[in-house]
Amino acid sequence: MLLCWVIAAFSVSGCGSKSSETALDTDSGSEQYASSGSDSASASALLEEARRMVKDVFFQYDSAELESDAVSQLKNNAEWLNQNRTISAMIEGHCDERGTSEYNIALGEKRAETTKSFLVRAGVAASRLETVSFGEERPFDSGHTEAAWSKNRRAHFVVK
Amino acid sequence: MKSPLMPFSKIVFILLCCFALMPSTLFGESVKEYVKITKAGADRIPLVLRSVDVEGSKDAQYAKGIDKVIKNGLAFTGLFAILNSPMNLISGGELYQTGKRQINFPALSSVGAEVYAGGVLKRKGKTLHMDMEVYDALTGKLLMRKLYEGNREDTRSLGHRFCDDLVRLFTGKPSIFGSKIAYVSRRNGKKEIYLADYDGYGEVPVTSTGGLALTPALSSDGRQLAYLTYTRGRPDLQIKDLSRKTVVSVTRKGVKIDPAWRNGSMELATTFSFDGNQEIYLVRKSGSIVRRLTRDRGIDLSPSFSPDGRYMSFVSSRHGSPQVFIMDLNSGTTKRLTFDGKYNTQPAWSPVNDKIAFTTMQKNGEIDIFIVNADGTGLKQLTYRARQNEAPSWSPDGTMIVFSSSRGGASKLYVMNADGRNQRSLKLAGEQMQPCWSSFR
Repeated sequence: MLLCWVIAAFSVSGCGSKSSETALDTDSGSEQYASSGSDSASASALLEEARRMVKDVFFQYDSAELESDAVSQLKNNAEWLNQNRTISAMIEGHCDERGTSEYNIALGEKRAETTKSFLVRAGVAASRLETVSFGEERPFDSGHTEAAWSKNRRAHFVVK
Repeated sequence: MKSPLMPFSKIVFILLCCFALMPSTLFGESVKEYVKITKAGADRIPLVLRSVDVEGSKDAQYAKGIDKVIKNGLAFTGLFAILNSPMNLISGGELYQTGKRQINFPALSSVGAEVYAGGVLKRKGKTLHMDMEVYDALTGKLLMRKLYEGNREDTRSLGHRFCDDLVRLFTGKPSIFGSKIAYVSRRNGKKEIYLADYDGYGEVPVTSTGGLALTPALSSDGRQLAYLTYTRGRPDLQIKDLSRKTVVSVTRKGVKIDPAWRNGSMELATTFSFDGNQEIYLVRKSGSIVRRLTRDRGIDLSPSFSPDGRYMSFVSSRHGSPQVFIMDLNSGTTKRLTFDGKYNTQPAWSPVNDKIAFTTMQKNGEIDIFIVNADGTGLKQLTYRARQNEAPSWSPDGTMIVFSSSRGGASKLYVMNADGRNQRSLKLAGEQMQPCWSSFR
């Protein structure tokens, strides 16, 4: 039975805060990893590369199906992740503002999970991939046009 | 029919001799008649509300405060048409003593009043004594007389106790006075949960997550608040005891969506996805699972329970697009409720009958609120061409619905009567969404 529960009193864990960053504030993330020494310098360079190479994928309205563009991008992401096994990723599922926010939390999770499943089938260890859904709460583009919406219907990678 | 005059238990009240000798059925008849008129939606009860009389000029400020509270409170219910008082309303007797002053009933009839309410206010130290009388203006019968006492610093609750009794007199049910609304307020890009009175008065923050808190759900006793937070960058379900200030966090893997309390129990239902799919579970306030309620490949979310807690309306994408379904929790039988449109979500079951409010996304992207009977009959649209109207939640007496609307640009809370009339803003500052109207306090 799946009745095993983790019920903790409200607590803020320091390590959890990084994964809450979204597309809009990941630029500042590199500082967190910078410290003296050549190992950390190369780790920092690898993270920079990860951010360039592991790109977001986008979805149709009210859909968590992977389109052909998304599939080819995920193949690239998988290839890079398979060559750089020290990097792990938080996959954030996001939605556009249309529809109702509760349903969009579910839809965002479907997008993140579909994305993760594809990568796992392509050989990336599931333990390196976490998922979270923000529904429509963290739009990349706050506009109200299809151009903005299409950018917001995404699975966003936060590498670490 | 139970006499609507019975449930006056908390406050001292006085019955006049003549009133006590009258057969109570007379009141019952007249009350039933008013309810019939109101339900038909054709008319409101024409009421003359006389400003409370005060003998000492030093007490006039309290009278002014009380008058405003009572007038705003009664106007909010949408039950009354408040008429201007005729000039010569008190035609003799002792002005500052209810029961000993002569009400000019012909004058009331001449302005179209069916009910008259007024009273006398006296201050004794820090306490206000408000002696109120309510008459049937057509027959001159006394419907209610009652003495209210309260702190002079709290004219709002004093006035609302009278409003509550007046509404009970005509509907036979408890009123919205004393109820609370929990909602999400967005400030500086952050969403936190707030609590305010039914009319938006006296809002206070409940959460301080510093980021994102969503979908507050108040238990029927008003003591527990369940909601989602993203405190650790992931969605958690939190159940807060509002009086003890203790919080239980459910941090299980995956999403948690849109909790709702089950009437008649201290259990809530919410969506979890730790099992790999998004399913609705029944959960204790300790956070432990009672049982899983849904089992299918689609998304299942947004539970809302029938008044007796036996049935649950919810949203499912099991047939593709999101639609509202109803489950019998005793048998597990599920039937689909909505068929029109491709996007029906956010069901809210009335706390008093089998009406379910929900939202439909129209082809042009606007979202409108509808109500339908639990058997699928009586579909009625309540909002029209007003952008996004979302997250309906019923008042505890089932006469009103609070919802969010972007009709004026930013998302704000609005209230309407259950038939869609009288839509107006709660006039809260900033942006609000996802309101949840409490049961009684």
